[in-house]
Amino acid sequence: MQEFMNYLAGQIEACRAKIERLEADGRKDDANFARVRTNIYDVCRTVTNTLANRPGAGEAAVKAQFARFETTWGAALEKAKAHGDAGAIAVEETKLAALADVAAHFPEEQA
Amino acid sequence: MTEENALKLFKCLSDASRLRIVQSLMQGEMYTELLAERLELTPSTVSFHMKKLEEAGLVSSRKEQYYTVYSLNRAMLEKPLSEFAVPVPKQMDEQEKREEEYRQKVIKTFFEYGRLRSLPVQHKKRRICYEEIAKHFEPGRVYDEKELNEIIIPIHEDYCTVRRDMIGEGILRREGSQYIRVK
Repeated sequence: MQEFMNYLAGQIEACRAKIERLEADGRKDDANFARVRTNIYDVCRTVTNTLANRPGAGEAAVKAQFARFETTWGAALEKAKAHGDAGAIAVEETKLAALADVAAHFPEEQA
Repeated sequence: MTEENALKLFKCLSDASRLRIVQSLMQGEMYTELLAERLELTPSTVSFHMKKLEEAGLVSSRKEQYYTVYSLNRAMLEKPLSEFAVPVPKQMDEQEKREEEYRQKVIKTFFEYGRLRSLPVQHKKRRICYEEIAKHFEPGRVYDEKELNEIIIPIHEDYCTVRRDMIGEGILRREGSQYIRVK
């Protein structure tokens, strides 16, 4: 689990550096999307910190919370698509991409 | 071009990604995925930028099978900068502008994709929401109650309150079982 937490910290740091780079390059809106991505890594870190060590919760609870995020943000994406809301589509896709990245790095359960 | 439109145009172009999109489109028409690849952005981010460019009148789009193809509105790009230095009479005075901004803020807060999230408690905000709903009715046209409800229900489930309040606000007028939008 420590390795996963280090990975999240690394992603947050990388995103922050990217935000600085994009802002310096005059790409304010792209920087805002990078900020959304940072927030997702941060939210996932908080969820993991809170649930992973809680008695009766653990890794399964973390995974279940990630799945709930996916459902909620997936529904928001579909809604945005149905209304042709380009801004919301970009935000929800950014959130889902970051979440997919997090889920792919989450440690597999030990047999 | 009004001052507001000119500001929208310059704000739109004051972003390096959008400027690069315009530079790419100078070479010819392009579709989202190609622009995304060229600029190392996700397709949804490119679509977001394209929407802003379209709103500023710089770009137009058309559907071609599965793709959206974008092209530059060259007439807009070829406008001399001196054109923006000519004062254009403002369409709204400052007070009207502030009121319109407030109105848009209330609409943005209380409506989501045309549906009213909740009825505002504050009278001024509630009135704005009802005026927004009134846009679904043609002024002067006579609606029966069923027709009226069918229009309100997709906007807010408590159609009785909305209908009653809109009459109370003088936005709708009731004549027996018929309703007419006043203004």
